[in-house]
Amino acid sequence: MLVVENLTKIYPDGTKALDNVSFTVEDGEFLIIIGLSGSGKSTLLRCINRLIDPTEGRVTWDDQDVTAASGPELRRIRREIGMIFQHFNLVKRLSVEQNVLSGRLGYVNPNMALLQRFPADVRDQARATMEQVGISALAHKRADELSGGQQQRVGIARALMQEPKMILADEPVSALDPVLAHNILQDLEGLNKQGITVLCSLHYLDLVQRYATRVIGLREGKIVYRGSREAIRAMTDEEFKDIYGEEAVRIETGRSVSGG
Amino acid sequence: MATRTVVRKERRLRDIPPALAGLLSFLVPGLGQIIIGYWELGLFYAGSALSLVGLIIWRISVIAYKQETWAERIPVAFSRQGILWVLAIALAALWVLIVVDAVRSAARKRPRNQLGYVIILAMFFLLGWQIVDIDLVKLVTEFGDAVPIISRIAWPWPAAVFREEVAFQGIEIIYSDCDPGDVPPATPQVSGEPYIDVAPRCGELSDYGVAGTLLTVHGSGFRPNEEVVIWWEDPIGKEFRVRYQGDFVTAVTDENGAFAQEFAMPNLLIPPSAGEGPHAHILKARQTSFVGGLKPSKELLLAIEKMVETIFLGMMATLFGVALAIPVSFLAARNLMSASPVTLAIYYATRFILNIVRSIEPIIWAIIATLWVGLGPFAGVIALLFHTIAALGKLYSEAIESIDPGPIEAINAVGANWIQTVVYAVIPQIIPPFVSFTIYRWDINIRMSTIIGAVGGGGIGFLLIQWIRLTDYRAAGIAVWFIAITVAILDLVSSKIRERYV
Repeated sequence: MLVVENLTKIYPDGTKALDNVSFTVEDGEFLIIIGLSGSGKSTLLRCINRLIDPTEGRVTWDDQDVTAASGPELRRIRREIGMIFQHFNLVKRLSVEQNVLSGRLGYVNPNMALLQRFPADVRDQARATMEQVGISALAHKRADELSGGQQQRVGIARALMQEPKMILADEPVSALDPVLAHNILQDLEGLNKQGITVLCSLHYLDLVQRYATRVIGLREGKIVYRGSREAIRAMTDEEFKDIYGEEAVRIETGRSVSGG
Repeated sequence: MATRTVVRKERRLRDIPPALAGLLSFLVPGLGQIIIGYWELGLFYAGSALSLVGLIIWRISVIAYKQETWAERIPVAFSRQGILWVLAIALAALWVLIVVDAVRSAARKRPRNQLGYVIILAMFFLLGWQIVDIDLVKLVTEFGDAVPIISRIAWPWPAAVFREEVAFQGIEIIYSDCDPGDVPPATPQVSGEPYIDVAPRCGELSDYGVAGTLLTVHGSGFRPNEEVVIWWEDPIGKEFRVRYQGDFVTAVTDENGAFAQEFAMPNLLIPPSAGEGPHAHILKARQTSFVGGLKPSKELLLAIEKMVETIFLGMMATLFGVALAIPVSFLAARNLMSASPVTLAIYYATRFILNIVRSIEPIIWAIIATLWVGLGPFAGVIALLFHTIAALGKLYSEAIESIDPGPIEAINAVGANWIQTVVYAVIPQIIPPFVSFTIYRWDINIRMSTIIGAVGGGGIGFLLIQWIRLTDYRAAGIAVWFIAITVAILDLVSSKIRERYV
């Protein structure tokens, strides 16, 4: 169970990316976070595994205080939480297999990994994982030779190597076309059904309605919407726009002002 | 939209009478424009016009350098260099244009400056032509002077190889400063060897204007129908070809291998150390022939040796340079050093030092290094090393600065520690640019080491300069060819390797 309490993040330049955000994620949920670009979605996800240190507030993961953890303790927490990214964040010059193997770095002997060697059982696990997400044929290709959808699958395989209890997905399909977006989200849904909690930020209402078990909406770092599975499926375009609403209108007005 | 365009272009302009603006720009070109508020344009006009005036004055004083006063200089200079008339007229036109532009600007008319720019450019071009002394006629008519050198450098291979010669000769001893009764011992005839018979065998050397004793040489046992050259060895063992009436003395054997030739004893100085006469000279009638295959000449071997030295010089400088540039580059990478004010200060200091070292040319480092460690390739390595560290340090640090933070974030997120993150996310990203820059630098260092050699840094450049100064252009040509071939091969290799790694 993930508990986020009064999370606030102020960047050194004064931007308030998160403003007193609190919510709880039960195990097995598929929580989707919606909001405009710059509303704090990425910051929120990164505060959960401390890629970004929050300014205030507390994140508790399975009764461990993530915000207070440091060094080895933090790395042990991180390895239980997989993460996939909008731009995949693969190491482009390494092979698909090495990228997948790197997901296991939190578990293996650090000295072995220096020589880019992994134990045989880890390599077997990587082969099985690649099989699972359907990229076995690409194992020896360089990551930058792959298409966007394939790269995101490698990203998912890397996260799965961690044997995660939770996956954080930061706009995992924004860089993909709609068909691939459904494929990737179906993969995530499948993992969710196997019991992995998923926190995912998304833009498109149809995708949100199709996959979410719960939704929170962020605007200017604040939670402005909380919806259950039923509520989100009943949502109309108008209501969805309300979350983005005023902001979008303001942009329109702004344009007409500057245009005049 | 329209309003905004006007707002952007609007600047605060001072209202002054057009005539005053014109007068100001007449006194100092561009001053009117500056006062009105077009200060960039005004400064440009002022800078251009004043520097053109200064350059023209300088040219006049250079052309008419013997004249004392300007009243004398100007007519002399203008009559010597007609181009000055063109420059003067163009300058006057520019002046008028600037004044007109000031008047128009003061009257708030749209400025039209294109003609002014064209005149300024054209004048600088003409002055440039003058100053660097471009002479197209000379370039064409005196090309002939360059042909022998160019042809030797372009095709130096006759000097790169030679064949060994063997002499087939008969000798006889001749006395000078001798009494008529003195006759040197006869050289015995050996069967199968050529034999010459000289008469007389005691005589007087030629002196200035006075021909010496006429000698008659009869030879036999030589190879038939081949040239025989007459050589003379003086009492101190110095050998030279004999000249008679201006030509080298030679003969051609008949079908029996015999010849006869007549010439006067040569003119030569007998050093006092040779003592009183009679002095023994050796007359040699020699046929030469080449034996064996072509052999590399001394120059060719030396060029190969120095080329190898040059390649290794460049390689060592690159290796040491890389080893030292990598740590330096981490200190000069902003993204790694911006954590605290202290590290940021180190970053700025490193950058500053790198920039200074890099802006000093390797040839200057070479001069410093030759004073430091003496002439030779080690000085060359040091010279290139300084420049390599500075250049690679900058390139590497820029490669580090431009790495994608995404993979680092991702590897952190899987729970990797710091060193694992470096190995998996940082190093794979910086290897391609590092390899590429390193090979590029090796390429530069080998090319540069030829220049370094010229100032005493060892390698083939040293030979090249030496041969050019000795006017041995064929040997210099060998060095030039070696450098060109090596650089071409290296270029090819480095581009292939870079293709693979990037």
